[in-house]
Amino acid sequence: MSSGTRKGDGLQPQVERELIRKCRAGGARFYEPLVRAYEPAGLRIAVAMMGNVEDARDALQDAFVKAYDSLHRFDLRRPFGPWFFQILRNQCRDMLRSRQARFKVEALDERLELRPADAEKGPERLRQRAAARELLWQALEHIGAEHREILVLKELQGLRYAEIAQVLDIPEGTVASRLFHARKALKDALMSMGAEYP
Amino acid sequence: MPERITHDDLMRFIDGELAPEDHARIEAQLRTSTELQREVAIFNAMKTDFQDLSFQPAGSGHSVWDRVNRQLTRPVGWLLMIGGAAVLVAYGVFVFATSPGDPWEKLAIAAVVIGFVVLLGSVVWERYRDWLHDPYRDVYR
Repeated sequence: MSSGTRKGDGLQPQVERELIRKCRAGGARFYEPLVRAYEPAGLRIAVAMMGNVEDARDALQDAFVKAYDSLHRFDLRRPFGPWFFQILRNQCRDMLRSRQARFKVEALDERLELRPADAEKGPERLRQRAAARELLWQALEHIGAEHREILVLKELQGLRYAEIAQVLDIPEGTVASRLFHARKALKDALMSMGAEYP
Repeated sequence: MPERITHDDLMRFIDGELAPEDHARIEAQLRTSTELQREVAIFNAMKTDFQDLSFQPAGSGHSVWDRVNRQLTRPVGWLLMIGGAAVLVAYGVFVFATSPGDPWEKLAIAAVVIGFVVLLGSVVWERYRDWLHDPYRDVYR
């Protein structure tokens, strides 16, 4: 999958704006299409930030509720996605802090989505890819939340630097440097776990 | 002497965030530096592995919308119901207390009603407490 194919997915900007206007007027039912459109992307971010599905779903639910309660402050000229991901990211961080919930890694095996391109490469290649993914997933536990979140937004969510800057509320110029430190931390963690790279 | 490649440039190169002329400049330097090639190869391999983590979390067939909707709409419903019930009860008590009738009869009726409310309240409270600690409350079939 190429980066840039993920993001919020699904809703046209004008439809999104119309739904938000109706939600602001008190129609909670108009929030459903927004929730359903951003749920898959939100869950991916939350799972990668929290490390397990249970905590991720709790964070996602609370983030959607907080976003709904703050819709009156939302600037309709901007896209909903980055704004919501910012709330979600804060929610995940709050949960990790307040509940003393450590980022705890859950086995990936049952939830890996087999991509057709992988399946064509044969069982040995599949096994290697799965092992690499598992190792990477474990390595995420060893890097800080700040590193994890920027990696998730870039690699898993495929956001551009400008969008990442908006979500993390940092200058766009800082994104590259944060990404470098995050990737370096991940590389060090992977190397210490015995990963082999060229 | 070629311009030094910073870490930021390298990240932008890997992520396709450079202007075409800067991209070409780094590509040219890459061809001459095996160290740089190795670094880019490592970061690209990590990037690919990371993007392979595109998994579908278990239980994703069950939308979080139900839980969100519950949290958004229920407080309003509860508020209206409790507020309306409180007004009705207050009015009922007032009418009952000010109506003509035998005081003993009123006392007996009041005792039955209060006893019923106390029993109902304790059962509801007990069930609520159990529900709060129920480990299976979010388990779906």
